[in-house]
Amino acid sequence: MPDSKPADDVARYAAEVRATLAHLPDAEREVLLEDLESHLEEVASESGSPLQERLGNPADYAAELRAAYGSGDISVDRRRVPILDRIQSLISAMFGTWAYRELAMLLPQLRPGWWVLRAYLLVLFFALVFKGQHNLSPIPNPFTSLGMLEIVATVVAITISVRIGRRGIPSGAVWRGVALAANIGIVLLAVPTLAQMSTNRAYPLSIEDSSGYYSAFQAGFYGPAVTNIYPYTKDGKALKEILLFDQNGRPLTVANLKEPATDFPVGSDGKPISNEYPLNQRHFNGDPVLPPRVALPLASQSVAPTPSPTPTP
Amino acid sequence: MGGANGIPVDPSQLLKGVLDLAVLAVLAEKDSYGYDVLRRLRESGLEDVGDASVYGTLRRLYQAGALKSYVVPSDEGPHRKYYGLNDRGRNALEKSAKTWGSLTRALDQLLDGRSTANAR
Repeated sequence: MPDSKPADDVARYAAEVRATLAHLPDAEREVLLEDLESHLEEVASESGSPLQERLGNPADYAAELRAAYGSGDISVDRRRVPILDRIQSLISAMFGTWAYRELAMLLPQLRPGWWVLRAYLLVLFFALVFKGQHNLSPIPNPFTSLGMLEIVATVVAITISVRIGRRGIPSGAVWRGVALAANIGIVLLAVPTLAQMSTNRAYPLSIEDSSGYYSAFQAGFYGPAVTNIYPYTKDGKALKEILLFDQNGRPLTVANLKEPATDFPVGSDGKPISNEYPLNQRHFNGDPVLPPRVALPLASQSVAPTPSPTPTP
Repeated sequence: MGGANGIPVDPSQLLKGVLDLAVLAVLAEKDSYGYDVLRRLRESGLEDVGDASVYGTLRRLYQAGALKSYVVPSDEGPHRKYYGLNDRGRNALEKSAKTWGSLTRALDQLLDGRSTANAR
């Protein structure tokens, strides 16, 4: 038997099977018939007899194939929306998981925690409104009147919140809606409130670690940290190697950040001189930090009647 | 289909119900390609099973994610698509086998009852 004959036989048989199943949805037909030819080739290679003889007529074969593949019409309809099917099974799989069951068990137990937290967040929000973004800290300072007030308000709010919480979920649809809206509202208010807290600059580090006091230039509290000082004379000459001290005679230092890094000059005693300005600073990439462009007060020399060092007679 | 004149049980329908289980069991033994599965089923005594039924069942089980599939080149003849059980398939087989066990016990009892009743 010539080689081409079984191949022709397979192709012809497969074509007829495909024609019989042409009415099926594309996706299903694709999956079902994906490797029909290679399967038929296997069958053909097992024996010399024509496929029609072995497998019956192609239409019957197709019908049997279809019957074995799908169990009735319902499955055909289902297969038209495989994505929905998949989502459904995914959801049911999710609800069946250990993690979900644990979470479902845990969440009701966490409710009193939320009652406390929502009271705290609400007071924090009002503190932000009344005090502005400064001084907003996770735990208010009890040694200031505002801080004490905030603490008292928090305790009162927690008491009320827990009381409300213990009443349980309101039965009326309206009240339930109100309660849900209030809780969501607190969450929404908490987002900007907590965001304000995080924009509070970190304390600028003092390089005077040994003495343990903070930099006098913690301007970072009210704005960006001061990281360097550029002294100028009145007539616009930039000064170098200026030593600055505070009212107690301690070296005046600025925020010492990682970027830009500062090279402190070393004194004869081997200790870094922390208050010599402008500081010699470098960026991460090694470039020196260039002095800023400054606007000098132009009129000061001639017009301004400042208390003059030369007393008028 | 074949079940004519109100005869409720068509042998091919009976077979169809258990074909999934039979195919899974054959593949649990060792990975096989389509025609080999058919041959092994027939060797085990399921002589009525048709090639299209086996092939369709393989495709359906594969589509349902119970089987893995890979092509093995062969020197003589066509490349063969082998099927084997994956974890899901093994789970399905285990579950179905249990169901099958209880089902057959129940049916055996029923049929025994009927045969003794007939004998009387």
